Amino acid sequence: MNNEVNINDVQEPILTAPPEVRQIIERVWQVEKSRLDKKSLSHINDDILRIVKEAVQ
Amino acid sequence: MKLTSIKLYNFRQFYGKTPEVLLNCSKEQNITIIHGNNGSGKTGLLNAFTWVLYDRFSAAFASETQLVNKRAIAEAKLGEPVECWVEVAWEHDSKRYRARRICRVYKNETDLNPGKTELYMQVAGDDGKWYPPPQPPEEVISEILPGSLHQYFFFDGERIEQIVRSDKKAEIAEATKMLLGVEVLNRSIRHLGEAKKTLENELKIIGDTKTKQLLKEKEKVERETERIATRQTEIFQELEYQQTLKQETSNRLREMSAVKELESRRQQLEAQKALNQDSLKKSKEALKRLISAKGYTVLLPELTAQFHSITQELRQQGELTPGISREFVHELLNQQRCLCGSELHEGSHHREKVKGWMDKAGIAAVEETAIRMIAQVDEIDKQAPTFWEEVDREQASINQFRQAINEIEQQLDTIQERLRKDPSEEIRNLQSRLDEIEAKIRDLTLEQGAIQQQTANLQGEIDTFNKQIAKQKVNEDKQALAQRRITAAQDAIERLTEVRNRQEQQFRLHLEKRVQEIFSEISFTPYLPKISEKYELTLVENTTGLEAPVAASTGENQILSLSFIGGIIDKVREWSERKMLMVPDSSTFPIVMDSPFGSLDERYRRQIAKIIPSLANQLVVLVTKTQWRGEVAEEMTNRIAREYVLTYFSSKPDCEQDAIELGGIHYPLVRQSPNEFEYTEILEVDYGF
Repeated sequence: MNNEVNINDVQEPILTAPPEVRQIIERVWQVEKSRLDKKSLSHINDDILRIVKEAVQ
Repeated sequence: MKLTSIKLYNFRQFYGKTPEVLLNCSKEQNITIIHGNNGSGKTGLLNAFTWVLYDRFSAAFASETQLVNKRAIAEAKLGEPVECWVEVAWEHDSKRYRARRICRVYKNETDLNPGKTELYMQVAGDDGKWYPPPQPPEEVISEILPGSLHQYFFFDGERIEQIVRSDKKAEIAEATKMLLGVEVLNRSIRHLGEAKKTLENELKIIGDTKTKQLLKEKEKVERETERIATRQTEIFQELEYQQTLKQETSNRLREMSAVKELESRRQQLEAQKALNQDSLKKSKEALKRLISAKGYTVLLPELTAQFHSITQELRQQGELTPGISREFVHELLNQQRCLCGSELHEGSHHREKVKGWMDKAGIAAVEETAIRMIAQVDEIDKQAPTFWEEVDREQASINQFRQAINEIEQQLDTIQERLRKDPSEEIRNLQSRLDEIEAKIRDLTLEQGAIQQQTANLQGEIDTFNKQIAKQKVNEDKQALAQRRITAAQDAIERLTEVRNRQEQQFRLHLEKRVQEIFSEISFTPYLPKISEKYELTLVENTTGLEAPVAASTGENQILSLSFIGGIIDKVREWSERKMLMVPDSSTFPIVMDSPFGSLDERYRRQIAKIIPSLANQLVVLVTKTQWRGEVAEEMTNRIAREYVLTYFSSKPDCEQDAIELGGIHYPLVRQSPNEFEYTEILEVDYGF
């Protein structure tokens, strides 16, 4: 039971984040995930910068 | 990811198009068994999956460059392209996918030129319509199941222990971190940090806040404006006071009998002077008004002359003939009666005559307009002389007023001179007092003008400040936004870091526990799988009370590897279902396993055959007849959805034929090829249901 609670706690910092921060985290996660297999990381910074700018307006 | 079918064309041993090998399965029946002897293409089939999806091959797959079936090449003409492809279909997240990778070679005299492979994909959603995905197919696959993890889902069972070999420890650790999202977290944190740095630089470029300073400067100017406005009021009051003083002094002079008349005359003259000055001012204004309102008329004669000559010409040409209008003629024709009383019936001589006037008559409106314009232009012509007359009149008045003022001033000077030199000291003093007052008034008036100018200048400065402040406000908004973005990025970094910390403690321990459970279910050894902080997988024993690494056998390592794969699939599925951020955002995982349980003994084979199908959602097993022995078949039979047999056609003369009996029917495993080529065909096992 203790472990169950702890496992749920793992994502707690994301679940309790303000909406824009949560949006940033989830979108950055998707971008990073989709690029996981790529050797070249070009434009990743632009993409992440855009995510932050779009989330916080 | 749930595999639904695979189909091959001229790929390795498979000549021509194979039937579609269906991999559909249910929760209970989730196994597809593909039987085949050594060399019949089992490894080829395993690699067909990894080739389509990841353009990769397993270690046991020889001659990677020779993908196209030899018979297809032999039958092709020189210079012609020969094609091979594999098509894999799967379902994922309520969508259906079909991916086909094509490889073409060009047949030459000496060798084959392999072309680049091409990957095509089609996706169908709930509506069943197929369309190409918006992203490149490689990206779509990578998001479903990253290529770096493929070896844990598509593998050669005989070599599976390699994943836990000491030289592969780092690799498996990396793969585990990737699966659990640790790598994505690391990269997210790192790249968000870089984005934050960029935002901070952008903030610097926007510049430091200047608004406060600008407001301060503006305040200073506003204070100065107030000060001079106060001074303006003071001057105004002072002027009034001086005027009163002047009046009083003047009155006192008038009261003195000696200069009574003189002073009274002076007051009179001053009143006249003021009157004349006022009239002069008015005349000047009238002149200005006149020039701005009617000055243009003097510039028009040339144009009006041109207008007159045009109308004159038109008139001479008969275009503006005054006389009868077309409308009038038309009216007569309508009434069928002329002014003279003659009937104007249709076709009559009179009517024709009157009709003839239509062409000669002008159009009333044009004529009228022309006449009106001529009248207006004549009016303009008259305005110019009137204007000059008025100008002359005003200028004359101005001159007259100036002269009058001049004369009055001379007279006033004379009076003042006389008073200044008056024998009476009192009178002299009063005059001198008046002179002083006059001087004072002059100074004050000058100051008044200067202040007016200064006020206008200061107001201009204030306007400029207001504009700058407004601009700065926009900058400040930008700064505030940049600051908020930096804070949000920082918050995201901190939260992701915290998630990483918690994950490191939790995921590893949970995963380790699960791997231990699976391992102990299969193995009879007291060994314990361990996952280190670096996610390295080892086998330890605890017999001496101290944990020590085990020099594990190939068999134990195979069990360890399978336990690990099973454990990871199980945990990732569980955590995905709980909506945790996992790299494969899926709770369904396939395992395609070639030659499983290679060197294991009976007990292990049975245990693995029992456990693996319950861990993976879908299992495709490629087996030889010997691998499909009693205990494995026994454990798996109830979960089989479909079975296929790879029939190998050998070109070796008098080769030994082989077959397998499934459901009471013999399926050939090895047959004699009818030609000089070796190839494999795929047969579906028919159980009649």
